Amino acid sequence: MSKSPIDKIGEQLTRTLAGYSSRRGFIAKLGAVLAAAPLLPLLPVARAATATAPKTDFERNAQTKDDTKCTYWKYCAADGVMCSCCGGGSHTCPPGAEPSPVSWIGTCLNPDDNRSYIIAYRDCCGTPVCKAGKSCQCDGADRELPTYRAPLNNDIIWCFGNASATYHCSTAALVGLSGT
Amino acid sequence: MINAAINKWLLAASMGLSAWAATASQASPALPVLEPEVSDVATLRLDVPHRFFTSGWDGDSFMIFDGDSGKMEGSIPAGYISNLAIAPDNSRFYVSETYWTHGARGDRHDLVSIYDAKSLHLMKEIRLPGRALVSKVQNFDINASGSRAYVYLLQPASSVVWVDLKQQVVAGTVEIPGCALVFPWGEQGFSSLCGDGSLASVSIPESGPAKVTHTRPFFDANKDPIFDDSFVDRVTGNAIFLSYSGLVYPAKLGFDTVVDKPWSIQQAAGYAAAGTGVQELAWRPGGSQLAAYHKASGRLFVLMHTGNYWTHKQGGTEVWVLDTKTHALLSRFPLRPAPTSGLGDDKAPYYQSMGVSQDENPLLYLLNPEGNDLVMDAATGELKLKIESAGGHMVWVPGY
Repeated sequence: MSKSPIDKIGEQLTRTLAGYSSRRGFIAKLGAVLAAAPLLPLLPVARAATATAPKTDFERNAQTKDDTKCTYWKYCAADGVMCSCCGGGSHTCPPGAEPSPVSWIGTCLNPDDNRSYIIAYRDCCGTPVCKAGKSCQCDGADRELPTYRAPLNNDIIWCFGNASATYHCSTAALVGLSGT
Repeated sequence: MINAAINKWLLAASMGLSAWAATASQASPALPVLEPEVSDVATLRLDVPHRFFTSGWDGDSFMIFDGDSGKMEGSIPAGYISNLAIAPDNSRFYVSETYWTHGARGDRHDLVSIYDAKSLHLMKEIRLPGRALVSKVQNFDINASGSRAYVYLLQPASSVVWVDLKQQVVAGTVEIPGCALVFPWGEQGFSSLCGDGSLASVSIPESGPAKVTHTRPFFDANKDPIFDDSFVDRVTGNAIFLSYSGLVYPAKLGFDTVVDKPWSIQQAAGYAAAGTGVQELAWRPGGSQLAAYHKASGRLFVLMHTGNYWTHKQGGTEVWVLDTKTHALLSRFPLRPAPTSGLGDDKAPYYQSMGVSQDENPLLYLLNPEGNDLVMDAATGELKLKIESAGGHMVWVPGY
């Protein structure tokens, strides 16, 4: 029996989380969030864009060549300074920064293969904010929801469970296919 | 050797002074010598009718402006992702803020700091168990009389810390699972927006446990969520919630919160109600602090732009003025596009944030991402002032 997209994402994120953090205090707090899950509607990944769906404004202009531009396809719901302009990469923290064990989630359409992918937007933390130029300060808003839908909100500083909750920059790690 | 060096310096300085004095006497011999000045410290007036406050998302202070003159009156120091509340009698400023002992590292301190509103002297720091690091106006607020403060906490489970401002201590914490932010009502309560499309309403008596009620879900948080930047009159509990598509949900917040049927701001303007299509061009609300509310008149000011769905962060090219009692559009104020560098997330940086003064002759304060900030007459839309770099993403006004 195949797993639902949400199950797949949950498994992938759990693995990622296990890889990043062993802080019991933080895990306990995350558990409290998961306990509240029945109050939260399903993540919108199940209704992710398909090849035939109308494209958002971001998707119409997205490109796959330059991850130092706000139009880079994985940045459709990214908010902040992109780590690729700060000595890191689209899924890599710059030297000295620490990836947050949790992230907010987006669903972005790759214009090359016309498939939608789940993206984990993981902040890099523990050092002062990266002072890259304005062209690296992005604010994608595709399927971005308010604070009370925290896992889909990109205004929150996602530096939970880190040694320091100061924000340095944002990454966009591909998690897997959406809605397949 | 040191004495010799000092003597040389004094000699050089006195020669310089003599030369300067000679030049001065040659330039204008008839004028009297100016009086010596005393280095002193200004205090804030308490009766400025159009004062407003601004900050940036990672700013280290709030800036205080006189909206009539456009001049800065002073600054309130502030830490990381800080927020501001103004005492109802304007005697105190309350700052919720976060510091680390060594800049971006070291021990974390979450605080509510209390400042005297005349001298800006720090009066008290109240240590919090934590606070949410999210730049939203309603992550911190006070109750109707100013005797309590509420601090939204995300760890990432949601709760609210309440602070007794009379005793100046943290009084307790209330869990609000699946919900966020604080919209205070009366002396003892607040409501929070929830991910299932409901409002949670929390009543905290002076003693005894807090009580929590939930409304039925009244909006779809996936399809057409309500903006974090919504409004409540803390005294009456009358609230205005605005959705991404442009629906206004009036509500009366309290322990038995009641939400009325929504109305469309686009229909108020004679258009069809806007939908949620990603290629459905319509006038839409958008920005950072994208709306402002004038309590006494019930007027709602919304930054509007033309765009498709998911452009809810795009700044406004117009301000729409709506009467929340009659659901009528009163005015549309066009906003000139400001000069832009053409870089970053907002290549045409229209206006992202807005506040309105609460007096009988209100002014609108509009912030632009590149610092081309404006003061407008809220009744006519007349441009009163331009202010360079008045602030970042948020505006506060007294009396709200």
